Amino acid sequence: MNYLGIDVGSVSTDLIIIDDNMKVIEKLYLKTKGKPINAVQQGLKILKNKYDGIEIKAAGTTGSGRNIASTLIGADAVKNEITAHAIAALQFDKNVRTIIEIGGQDSKIITMKNGVVSDFAMNTVCAAGTGSFLDRQAERLCIPIEEFGDYALKATNSIRIAGRCAVFAESDMIHKQQLGYNESEIIKGLCDALVRNYLTNVGKGKEIVQKVFFQGGVAANKGMKAAFENALGFEIVVPEHYNMMGAIGAALIAKSAVKKSGSTKFKGFDLANSLFESKSFECEGCSNKCEVVRIIENEAAIGCFGDRCGKYSNALQVSENLLV
Amino acid sequence: MKVTFPHMGNIYLAAKALFDGLEVEYVIPPYNSKSALEIGSLHSPEEMCLPFKLMMGNYIQALNQGADTIIIVGSCGPCRFGEYAELQMKLLNKAGFHADFIAIDAPSDIGIKELFRRLNILTKNSSKNKFEKIQVLYDAIKIMNLIDEIEELAHKYTGYERNKGTCKTILNNCKAEAIKCNNPKEMIQLLKSYKAKLNHIAIDINKDPLKIAIIGEIYTVIEPFTNLYIEEKLMDYEVSTKRSLSPSWWVKNTALVPLKINSLDIRKASKRYLPLYIGGHARECIGEAVMALEDGFDGAIQIFPMGCMPEIVSKSILPTISKDHDFPIMSLVVDEMTSEAGFVTRIEAFVDLIERRRENELSRH
Repeated sequence: MNYLGIDVGSVSTDLIIIDDNMKVIEKLYLKTKGKPINAVQQGLKILKNKYDGIEIKAAGTTGSGRNIASTLIGADAVKNEITAHAIAALQFDKNVRTIIEIGGQDSKIITMKNGVVSDFAMNTVCAAGTGSFLDRQAERLCIPIEEFGDYALKATNSIRIAGRCAVFAESDMIHKQQLGYNESEIIKGLCDALVRNYLTNVGKGKEIVQKVFFQGGVAANKGMKAAFENALGFEIVVPEHYNMMGAIGAALIAKSAVKKSGSTKFKGFDLANSLFESKSFECEGCSNKCEVVRIIENEAAIGCFGDRCGKYSNALQVSENLLV
Repeated sequence: MKVTFPHMGNIYLAAKALFDGLEVEYVIPPYNSKSALEIGSLHSPEEMCLPFKLMMGNYIQALNQGADTIIIVGSCGPCRFGEYAELQMKLLNKAGFHADFIAIDAPSDIGIKELFRRLNILTKNSSKNKFEKIQVLYDAIKIMNLIDEIEELAHKYTGYERNKGTCKTILNNCKAEAIKCNNPKEMIQLLKSYKAKLNHIAIDINKDPLKIAIIGEIYTVIEPFTNLYIEEKLMDYEVSTKRSLSPSWWVKNTALVPLKINSLDIRKASKRYLPLYIGGHARECIGEAVMALEDGFDGAIQIFPMGCMPEIVSKSILPTISKDHDFPIMSLVVDEMTSEAGFVTRIEAFVDLIERRRENELSRH
């Protein structure tokens, strides 16, 4: 029996299929490129070609695009990233106490006690130190992002970079480049600055207890891992499927949801051939002026978001109930 | 004279009743919205707190609809709020608007004579006699108390209701109907009937819903637009919530300050962690957190606007309370940059956290 998990994030859309024994059968890492519908459809198309006929017992979604993805595929569970990451990590290792998760645009810390989340925090007003920023710097330095971490490890010396704000960090890096420091030292300095920023901003007031899992796309960066270990003074673990943990969590949550409900709502891989469209408009019904988005599949509305009073989304649910 | 006032939760209902009763012309500014915030931000210092900006937006939208006098309650400096009236007056003038301000301050700050002088500016155009004016004021306060009670009941019962959404619907209908009333007595009758309705909904007494206390800075916990309708969202999740700070609490508290018998429970509860008033409602925030854990709540959510000094102090005390008592507390900072996605994720994750904690505890016993 197989379970599907989809994590629609700001930068990447991850799809995963796992079996009953938690074995990862397939993982797909696609770029969202600001078009979550396309990314999900593209992912399903790849899965359809490879695994047509496979039975999906449950499907779950997570990430910032979890609601739209859930509407598209008919998910059994829609969960926030924090819970999804925690569930996945605990499934792999019961002894995890802290999760450092750095994704495309947000970073999180999750602490756990007795096998449940006890506290968490997300970056609040600033995205300095997240994946997008590292991506951009790699691009500016003409270094492939995959090799960024190796450069940092080569450095013998670290240069202090102002990491409080992404824009200032960038100007500080340019300044240091112009002073003649070499690339690897600057990259190491950047990793150190980002870790410092993470620990004083996101991790403020949170106890980082071992064992620590480092998850999210940025965990691929060896320089960041080393900088964290250096700052914390102990080893941190990058799990095998570090960039898929959200999707794995979603699949696991869906699995238990279906155990309760009995059957899955997943619409199947054929969705890849449906025509999806999203239309947004400002509702003029009252002074709240909600921005409403409507998702249309083959000319039939299947989902509505953003209306506070539920005028559109409830209407949809009623018609759904009538159909059943 | 055409008066207006800034929004804060349901206070517009009491204000409407007051002016209807006094037969004074008034403008209720459009509800807080993105456009109010945009206008307000444009005319406010960038580092200023969120309530200030929204109020500026309210004023300008109301002035554009013909208002010429602005009423605001001041409180002479517990935090930046004490400077609001003066600053806003100057900024509005600078922006080319002309409006008279009536700042209602506590008698202990400006003297009872001055307070009456200021109130008199407001009421001198009213054709009502002294006795009637007092009666109207009494009715307005009653309305404020009633709507606060209705909200409190709806937020509490939402976790126990048999038909999901009953409380939310009643609450929303109540507000929509109340604004249509044209005299205080009519509104009081309506609110009373809604209160009775809430007290007679079908509830399941055996349910044990998650309970969350909403604590923090007074404006951002009361005004739903600023906290992205957190109470409504928690109602959708069938979580019972309690918020001690409300306009009625504020009035009662302010009135009792001179006698030093205001909010005794909060003062007692906050004693161990913050035994003195440091401005704003920081002490209340700490006291409410302690009271919430003593009352068996599952967790507390603190909300405050970016840069709010008193709440920054309480934010740094809350983790100690949380650790001492193993009590989940989450802090949310709001400003005009707050994105709904991240906000909802945090709220959802927090509800998950307390739910799973509870399941975990149950399974271990």
